[in-house]
Amino acid sequence: MDAKLKETILNPIFKGNPITVLVLGICSSLAVTVTLKGALVMALSVIVVCGISSLILSLLRNTIPGRVRIIVQLVVVAMMVILVDQVLKSFEATYAIDKQLSVYIGLIITNCIVMGRIEAFALGNKPWPSFLDGVANGAGYGLILIVVAFFRELLGSGTLFGIDILNRFGYVPNNLVILPPFALILLGCIVWVQRSIQKDLQEK
Amino acid sequence: MNTNNNVYTVIYTTVIVVIVAALLAFVSQSLKAKQDANEKAETISQMLTSAQYGTKAELDKLGNAAKLDKYAEEIDKAFVIDLDGKVLRELNTSREDIEVYSPKQLKRQNYNIKGGANKTGEPELPVFVFKNGRTVVPIYGAGLWGPIWGYISFEHNSATIAGAYFDHESETAGLGAKIKDDPSFQKEFVGEVANFGESNVVDIVKGGAPKDAEGKSVVDNKVDAITGATMTSQGLDAAIDTWLEAYSKYFQANTKACEENHDCCEGEHEEACEGDCENHKAKEE
Repeated sequence: MDAKLKETILNPIFKGNPITVLVLGICSSLAVTVTLKGALVMALSVIVVCGISSLILSLLRNTIPGRVRIIVQLVVVAMMVILVDQVLKSFEATYAIDKQLSVYIGLIITNCIVMGRIEAFALGNKPWPSFLDGVANGAGYGLILIVVAFFRELLGSGTLFGIDILNRFGYVPNNLVILPPFALILLGCIVWVQRSIQKDLQEK
Repeated sequence: MNTNNNVYTVIYTTVIVVIVAALLAFVSQSLKAKQDANEKAETISQMLTSAQYGTKAELDKLGNAAKLDKYAEEIDKAFVIDLDGKVLRELNTSREDIEVYSPKQLKRQNYNIKGGANKTGEPELPVFVFKNGRTVVPIYGAGLWGPIWGYISFEHNSATIAGAYFDHESETAGLGAKIKDDPSFQKEFVGEVANFGESNVVDIVKGGAPKDAEGKSVVDNKVDAITGATMTSQGLDAAIDTWLEAYSKYFQANTKACEENHDCCEGEHEEACEGDCENHKAKEE
């Protein structure tokens, strides 16, 4: 694998993370991080939507009329989101999670990461790198989601994946952690940690 | 190739939209059976929750098959009535072919109850009687952002509410969504008595339902609304009133029959009467 491709995959995971560095997709990361299970399903959904839409649009990139390119992008992304929603609804294991995530699966279409990566990368690159870029950005988003959800479920419900962890030791769940503001506080902490490590992100 | 040409642009967008629409229609059709099975199991677990066979979380731990098993085991009879409380037809309750009313079917009946341009026929109202004596009836209506529905169960031949479960499509998380997510809201209905025969069958009130000196909710038809979710609370109130009013003749006839039977239940038969008047009547005959 050449260095450029490697950079395409690794950059969105940490150095150019869509949530902590580009500050995209904040809204849904506050909403779906109450439980780890929900965050995991949401992360996988975004990876699939982001990866495949990038691939399709990169394949079509030379044929898309410039004036309606955003509309064409929207059609493809919306199709992927509906497909993911339909598939989640069809399986017994994911039906309950789909119900719990309710509107947020449909709202993946408004997630700036998806459209942002298509506009910035997929329309100007070959299909394979575009696909990897989409998947990597989805993964970067998912990684932060899972880190936030880990702390929120552990401290807010005392469980992980619905299994009692802290509850066994007489821990009283903290209701503040369940509420969206705490997700914002956690996100802030993650950005703080990242900026202490990555000095070039600090503003002078 | 000039991709900025007007004709090209129109043809391109048309073709892509048609392809996407065809693909989505195909996927939706081929997954429909599986989705319906999931929805049916969900409806059943909501009814079982309402009839107090466990909390929703407990019932959700069962798989789809186990939910259907439990329903087939616990259901006594299920039938459809009209506005006069007359039984129109039985609903299938055997394990292989359980018949329940999905939210989509409830929506159709909701139009039929309310009348107007969307009315397709006379209302057909499902009633589910469980072996623990509780009668479960559905409600359906409009919340703030989308439809809301639910199931209310009544104690045997009485207007006393035994349990309630509500669901919604897209109410605001943390506010209106509490009708589903907050078990304490659903618990408020338990023990209240519906006013069948009046237009305000169950009242969801702002500013607190009346409480007695010990802080317990007074037994009446009033339930506390949800703070910050006025529109959802009002929608739920309207949905419950509309549907329970449609059921009122059925419930009035049943509770009256029980009260009348009580006359013959005095004295030595008193104990037998307490639980089940109809059985007692049958015994006497």
